[in-house]
Amino acid sequence: MPSPAASVAIDAREVAKTFRSGWLRPRLTEALRGVTLQVPRGAIVGLLGPNGAGKTTFLSILATLLIPDRGSARVLGMDVVRDALALRQRLNLASGRPSFLWSLRVAEIVAFYGRLYGFSGARLRARVDALIEQYELAPYRRVPYSELSTGLKQRVALAKSLVNEPELLFLDEPTLGLDPDISVRVRAHIAALRRERGMTIVLTTHYMREAEELCDEVAFIKAGRILDAGTPAELKRRIGLGDVVALRLEPAAPAWLAGAPGVLRCASEDGWTRCTVDDAEKRLPDLLRQLFAEGVTVRNVRVREPELEEVFVELAR
Amino acid sequence: MSWRADVLAVWAVVVRNALMASRNVFFFFELFFWPIVGVVSIGLMTKFLGLTAAQASFVLIGTIALSVVNVCQLEVAYAVLMDVWSKSLKHQFLAPIGIRHLTIGSWVVGMVRGGAIFALLALLAWWAFGFRVLAPGTAAVAVFVLGCFLTAWIVGVLVCALITLFGNRAEAFAWSSVNLVLVLAGIYYPVSVLPEPAAAIARAIPLTYFLDAYRAHFGFSAEFSAPIATGLTLSIVYVLVAHLAFYASVQRARRTGLLLKMSE
Repeated sequence: MPSPAASVAIDAREVAKTFRSGWLRPRLTEALRGVTLQVPRGAIVGLLGPNGAGKTTFLSILATLLIPDRGSARVLGMDVVRDALALRQRLNLASGRPSFLWSLRVAEIVAFYGRLYGFSGARLRARVDALIEQYELAPYRRVPYSELSTGLKQRVALAKSLVNEPELLFLDEPTLGLDPDISVRVRAHIAALRRERGMTIVLTTHYMREAEELCDEVAFIKAGRILDAGTPAELKRRIGLGDVVALRLEPAAPAWLAGAPGVLRCASEDGWTRCTVDDAEKRLPDLLRQLFAEGVTVRNVRVREPELEEVFVELAR
Repeated sequence: MSWRADVLAVWAVVVRNALMASRNVFFFFELFFWPIVGVVSIGLMTKFLGLTAAQASFVLIGTIALSVVNVCQLEVAYAVLMDVWSKSLKHQFLAPIGIRHLTIGSWVVGMVRGGAIFALLALLAWWAFGFRVLAPGTAAVAVFVLGCFLTAWIVGVLVCALITLFGNRAEAFAWSSVNLVLVLAGIYYPVSVLPEPAAAIARAIPLTYFLDAYRAHFGFSAEFSAPIATGLTLSIVYVLVAHLAFYASVQRARRTGLLLKMSE
């Protein structure tokens, strides 16, 4: 049976980072103020938060690109500062604004990083070919990086990030600026990485639908602190936004509806009465029964769970 | 890290730098234009001033050394500069490699380019001015060229350290640092003509000793005893110090966030 430590990919405790800028009048920016987060192996975890929340800083510390001021972070059982060199062999990163040596061609970029990670000869060629195939870059393999579109650059970044077959992959805004069809494919590929290879993935994103679709757990960061973390369903429940039950009634909604047990608020618009309830599954049968008993005809019913975006707005407030 | 992984990482940098160099329009100017202009103009000046053959050889050796050091140190600086220009620095430092792989890999390419320049300028100096650079023999030429390459490595690694310490602002060091060597290492004149504080600095530059040793083959009395041993010893010490400085500045860039800033 694996030890608890072996089942944790990331164990970050009270990680803090402050940036200093300016020479004469140094300005301090507290990017992280004690972030604690555990990520189980094989999970996809999303870091969500407004611009400047500290998501990229946190990701960069975990990826050994930044050294934290305080706190500790163990990734794949290794300390991100002490064991940085050994750890780099086992992780990789792709960011949403990728940039590589501009005059190198697509295949040369992937091969360069492949060599840095210890691939050579036939093994390197096979790895480069496989990644180029996987990301549909074959027609561009001899095209210089500077001549690629944003979407193609992003695909090169993703190919590069998998060159060492990492156990842990950091994706910083992986679908930023991509066409919708490419975004869908990238998301499907991210899900497949976990499904087929058991890869642990930590991603930052601004797209709540992306987080909801991909992530087992999400953590909301704001002003360098994690405000809340859990599965999307847990967060929605904890925030207490409730489910929206939309009813098309005839005659109009009775006055008692707004005060019925479990109903948080009600509003009518365009012939629909929208009631926010604490738990639709629990309250809907009672509401329908009561409406029926009072002779109100229910012509249509729609139930909608709150979106992660609403949780984000609520937390970011 | 295994020796195989070490070799592969160095080879990765060699291939990368060679590919970038082959596609760099400035490559032509760095490799041919400026060095040829330097030797031709200095050679013509020695004719105009009516210098003796020995005096002309003194100056031309310095000119050739300067070109070799300049091109080789630029290539070493490219280990970091090219990634700074492309904003891809973080990917390089995310990979499991040490700074030695970067500096050795780019130095290897620098030595190939420096060697090509040395051969070209030696040929040009012989054809245009009758100066036989290779006359002292293979061993003496090899030591002299090695001295140039070692000086270039040290300067290049220090430039890398300055860039990772100060960011893009330090880019100017890549182009100007070699001029300090020009003034102090006795490229065009013996170190003895320098005022004492400057001469003291000159005595701390390895190239000074390699120039002194090589010029001795052309009939000039050596200014230093055991110049080759002194030059090699200084070089080894400076190579270590430069790499420590580079390592420290990379670690600092990881602490300050400059590593990420230079990738945005």
